[in-house]
Amino acid sequence: MNNWQRMVWDQRELFLQGFVVTLQVCAVAFVCALLGGLLLALVRMKLPPLRPLAVILIEFFRATPVLVQLLWVNYVWPELIGWPNSFFTAACVALALQSSGYLAETFRGALEAIPRGQFEAAGSLGISRTRAFLRIALPQMLLDAAPSIGNQFTVIVKSSALVSVIAVPDLMFESQKLVNRWYEPIEILTATAAIYIGFIFLMSWALARVAGALRRRFGLGAN
Amino acid sequence: MSENLREVLDLSLFWEYRTVLLKGLWMSLGVFAASAVLALAVGLGVALLRVGRNAWLRRYAVLHTEVARNAPDYIMIVWVHFVLPLLVGKLIGQRLEFNPFYSAVIALAFVYSGYFAETFRAGIEAIPRGHVEAGQALGMSPRRITWRLVLPQVVRRMLPESTNQFISMFKATSIVSLIAVPDLMYQVSMISSQEMRPLPLYTGAALVYFVIVFCAATALQAFSSRWRSKVYA
Repeated sequence: MNNWQRMVWDQRELFLQGFVVTLQVCAVAFVCALLGGLLLALVRMKLPPLRPLAVILIEFFRATPVLVQLLWVNYVWPELIGWPNSFFTAACVALALQSSGYLAETFRGALEAIPRGQFEAAGSLGISRTRAFLRIALPQMLLDAAPSIGNQFTVIVKSSALVSVIAVPDLMFESQKLVNRWYEPIEILTATAAIYIGFIFLMSWALARVAGALRRRFGLGAN
Repeated sequence: MSENLREVLDLSLFWEYRTVLLKGLWMSLGVFAASAVLALAVGLGVALLRVGRNAWLRRYAVLHTEVARNAPDYIMIVWVHFVLPLLVGKLIGQRLEFNPFYSAVIALAFVYSGYFAETFRAGIEAIPRGHVEAGQALGMSPRRITWRLVLPQVVRRMLPESTNQFISMFKATSIVSLIAVPDLMYQVSMISSQEMRPLPLYTGAALVYFVIVFCAATALQAFSSRWRSKVYA
């Protein structure tokens, strides 16, 4: 019990600091994944000349492991295109890649499920195509995709532990630093695992409820 | 820029190190196969406990599933490699250390057993009640009903659908390089730090994983839809 006090409770500020970084990485990556997924889906469906490129990117993002993407973005991109210039940015981009691939497919399905008649109705009312997409299609797509959007957020949080590999000071990084200070992994790593598991459990439970409530409120079956 | 691009696409290093890389790939597949078999077995066991009659075992099954499904792979691998041997060692009063390969297999099998347990449970619950009742009416014992009536249908129905889980499991095996299991990613990192040329190596690694996963996913999907139509024709 003494060890728990000394190595976990007394270090709570360090744990908290790492946890905040984890949250930051995940939040940025999640927003990037949403925008990237939307962009990929739209390019794939609406811009025929760029379609093969979008398909290749989507399949590539979906079929490569997160760790490989992380190292690839972190070591190859800066040399190739001069960006990202920090570990934090590289971590956010890499975590976003995989989810943007999955979300692109979800959005595509959601957009295809919207009846054509709605766009025709919008057109006959003189609503511009951009406006019709933003005000009519997009809200329905997001609602339809809500469960998998929430799911992707938990996937991002789970993969985020890997960013410690490229020295982003997240929760896993801080806890491994503590392990290396004392060579006493039992309490520190168990506490870290418990924090991750507890947080992801609560997160996925809450997100599933929010998605269900939203869908019910706007007249879709909870899924 | 163009020089960098040429460097990225220069995969001659891959050819030079082909024997080591192939050995790494072989190890990746070994980790995958071992943890997939273990995860399926544990997942099936947990699913059976979950629909079983003993309340405590049911509670354990729920706990197991929830912990496994919410644990990040990397955290679990590190925990199993560095903490579990110490705990077991304390229990049996002996110093203990796990071979990284076993740690990797145990951790991955644990995490994915949660997903497989849910898949199996959904399959078991989808079997019409009448089948079990028919078995009882014919005087079959509960165990015989499970093994001869329920499980064959479950496996046939669920295995094709767990394609995605197998795919993400194979992708997750790249993480085991971080505890020094000499898999493909580990060899790539080693060569990269030796040659100081990360560009072609990491790009090549990404391409290798892409080709394997993409082909496997496409083939498995085609196979499973064929199998389904055969089973339920």
